[in-house]
Amino acid sequence: MAKKLCIALFSGSVDKLTAAGVILGGAAAEDMDVDIFVLLQAAFAFKKENALTNERVAEITDKKDEFLASLKRLEAPHWTEAFKTAKEMTNVKIHICGFAGKVWHGEKLEDFIDLADDIVGIGEYIDTAENADINLFI
Amino acid sequence: MTPEELAQIKVDKSVDARGTSCPGPLLAAKKAIGQIEKGQVMEVLSADEGTKRDIPKWCTKKGFEYLGTVEESGYFKIFLRK
Repeated sequence: MAKKLCIALFSGSVDKLTAAGVILGGAAAEDMDVDIFVLLQAAFAFKKENALTNERVAEITDKKDEFLASLKRLEAPHWTEAFKTAKEMTNVKIHICGFAGKVWHGEKLEDFIDLADDIVGIGEYIDTAENADINLFI
Repeated sequence: MTPEELAQIKVDKSVDARGTSCPGPLLAAKKAIGQIEKGQVMEVLSADEGTKRDIPKWCTKKGFEYLGTVEESGYFKIFLRK
């Protein structure tokens, strides 16, 4: 049985989303089953019009330009690419929280990038988290 | 295996992941392992320090044989047998 990773992804900031992408890569290398629950601010980043243009960072904000330049220098994939690669390599399901979607005027799955699989309620998260081997809040 | 033995080993697949950072080399290894047969040898070229520990651990979990790591100038080669 594949090990299960459950991520409550709250952050809509590029630094934390990039970290989530790196963790997803590790999970993909090990063929883990991954469920990602896109909560509040993360739903903003998952909106189609925001995913590639959003450059907000959550921490060390005064060094944002240096951080973003370093990602480019290191040829680190954009977080959407890291998520996509992980989805291609292992079983990753990305669930948008219905409430979070509404906060950012996203009512339908089509309002979000193609990586998103469905729109769910919080009960789904609790069920999944209960049965996961690793639980993360990012 | 000793560095001398690794220098002589026949490599069936070489993966150059020197341009990528973590988890790039690990993912490159994962992608490439499907392209070789059981018993064949793969080398992964990486300049990412974390890969030196990640790939041996990954080998153990996946049932591949980690053969050893050879330091080169500015990068290293990690050898494994599927």
